[in-house]
Amino acid sequence: MNLIFETDKAGLQKFYEEIIAKFETYAPVEKFEKFDYKRVSKLEECNPDSPIPSTMSVKPLFFPKTAKVMKFQEDSSGTTVSETDEDPLAGKRVILGVKHCDARGLQVLDEVYKWDYIDTDYKKRRENTIILSTRCDKAGTQCFCTSLDYDVENSDAHDVRIVNGLDGKIYIQSVTEKGENFLKENSSQQSVVGSQQSVEEIKKHYKSFESSFRLKMNYKEVNEKLQKLFDSPEFDPVSSNCISCNTCAFICPTCHCFKISDEKIKDTGVRYKSYDSCNNGYFTLMAGGHNPRPAKYRRWRQRAMHKFVYYKERFGVNLCVGCGHCAISCPVNISIFDVVNQVAK
Amino acid sequence: MEQLLVPAICKIEKIIDETPDVRTYRLKINDPAKMESFSWMPGQFVEFSLLGHGECTFCISSSATRKGYFDCSIKRAGIVTADIHSQLEEGMDVGIRGPYGNWFPIEDIKGKNLLFVGGGIGLAPLRSLIQYCIDNRNDYKDFTILYGARTSADMCYKEEIEEWKKNPTVKVILTIDKPEETWKENVGVVPKVLEEVVKPAIENTKVITCGPPIMIKYTLVSLDKLGFAPKDVITTLEMKMQCGLGKCGRCNIGSTYVCKDGPVFTYEQLKVLPDEF
Repeated sequence: MNLIFETDKAGLQKFYEEIIAKFETYAPVEKFEKFDYKRVSKLEECNPDSPIPSTMSVKPLFFPKTAKVMKFQEDSSGTTVSETDEDPLAGKRVILGVKHCDARGLQVLDEVYKWDYIDTDYKKRRENTIILSTRCDKAGTQCFCTSLDYDVENSDAHDVRIVNGLDGKIYIQSVTEKGENFLKENSSQQSVVGSQQSVEEIKKHYKSFESSFRLKMNYKEVNEKLQKLFDSPEFDPVSSNCISCNTCAFICPTCHCFKISDEKIKDTGVRYKSYDSCNNGYFTLMAGGHNPRPAKYRRWRQRAMHKFVYYKERFGVNLCVGCGHCAISCPVNISIFDVVNQVAK
Repeated sequence: MEQLLVPAICKIEKIIDETPDVRTYRLKINDPAKMESFSWMPGQFVEFSLLGHGECTFCISSSATRKGYFDCSIKRAGIVTADIHSQLEEGMDVGIRGPYGNWFPIEDIKGKNLLFVGGGIGLAPLRSLIQYCIDNRNDYKDFTILYGARTSADMCYKEEIEEWKKNPTVKVILTIDKPEETWKENVGVVPKVLEEVVKPAIENTKVITCGPPIMIKYTLVSLDKLGFAPKDVITTLEMKMQCGLGKCGRCNIGSTYVCKDGPVFTYEQLKVLPDEF
């Protein structure tokens, strides 16, 4: 059975403080009203219970924006390559304040990183991280996580979840075995072990959270319709405003396209792996000029279909988690929710 | 992942000028143990690095039955390939990752008549399979190679083609697009020669084709007209790739990863993919 602790605001703060003092901890840090996950050393630096979803997803802590692949050196005897000194993640770490959608994003990413060739750095980072999520009290304007193919209420994407009960109490519940062990070792002294009543309160909180959604869709229907809509003319108007800035892909919890590039000064150089996006015009451009996706609507079609059809077909999970990050940050107000619903209407 | 992206350093043993814009680079991995264990099947590809300039995807154009080296035939087409042509000399180092991808279905084509239809640099992946089949000649029946290029100068592997011609068990048919004074073979585009000169028997025959998109397009029409079933027509796709590991997202056609599920597909498999290549 899962461990549940009942506490109050002061107790939760103490719980967080103990974690921050003990572990390498990351949490949403605000800057210019935007939230990004940063390394923190004091609770005052961050806001694990930020009322809005973080602006940036938790993805970069597992799949860095830019990673060094190797160094290389040329001299008269030839070329040598050597490893970079970057350690993918040696010790254990804890992330606070992860939203359910963001945590689900990691579960979705796991699929592509573990099929066939295993991304060992990603795997190591995943294994060494404890995720503490805070369930949102109500949905944001662009949120639609409850409309997709996963069970938000019973999600096991995080190790421990924190729920603000409607009764004024705060519940800390372990979800995975990793989370349970973590709670056993790190539960604050002020907490009281909860009962069946706590489970009911957590359920009540979910009901109230679920009823706060502005955006709702019938996922099954959208997915089935889209499967037959590769040639839909609707992809053109829905993507016409796009300025191909790639913000949506970079902040998305699940977008995982990357590029490999070299930087060389005189005889030494570094090879990097960094974020890329299917919205880039050059993404599929081949030497000689052939490009299977030269037009914007084709690239948006790829983005929408990959999120809602292809990945589901391949790995059994939807690539979009309904977090709304992309719609919030898009400079021209394109929302993936609108795009798929418009095409599949 | 990052470790998977680190290439092995190879020495360029030899550079062969094939055409004015195609060169074959004969490579050998510097680490003898790695070279010993480096094996591939016809149709597989590698990621070729000119360090500091970038990485490109090329098929291996020789067969693993010819030991001690592997070939990449590279056409000057873009930024990195131009740098490869202008900067690399024999004895220099390059980086190689691979081999990646699937390969020609060598078990399926055993005991069949083989018809190779190649155009331009499209002969490169076919050459790996041709060498493999010639080295295991008893496993296959009739052996026909139809190869076309824009001009006689644009034909790759000229010396090797002469060897194939001398082989009594191999039938070679060459064609160029426009007449040339000293040219004694066929003139005309590949699909036309296929229909009018080769007139292949469809019974028990597998067709393996690769070439520029326009040639493939009309060759498929001709093969259809001649009565070949889509499952008996095999081709290899060219898509932008970078990681070769089914991760970076560039080569997707629908839910298919060309770098993992391909690059070799039958025409039957291609027909159900979204039209995006």
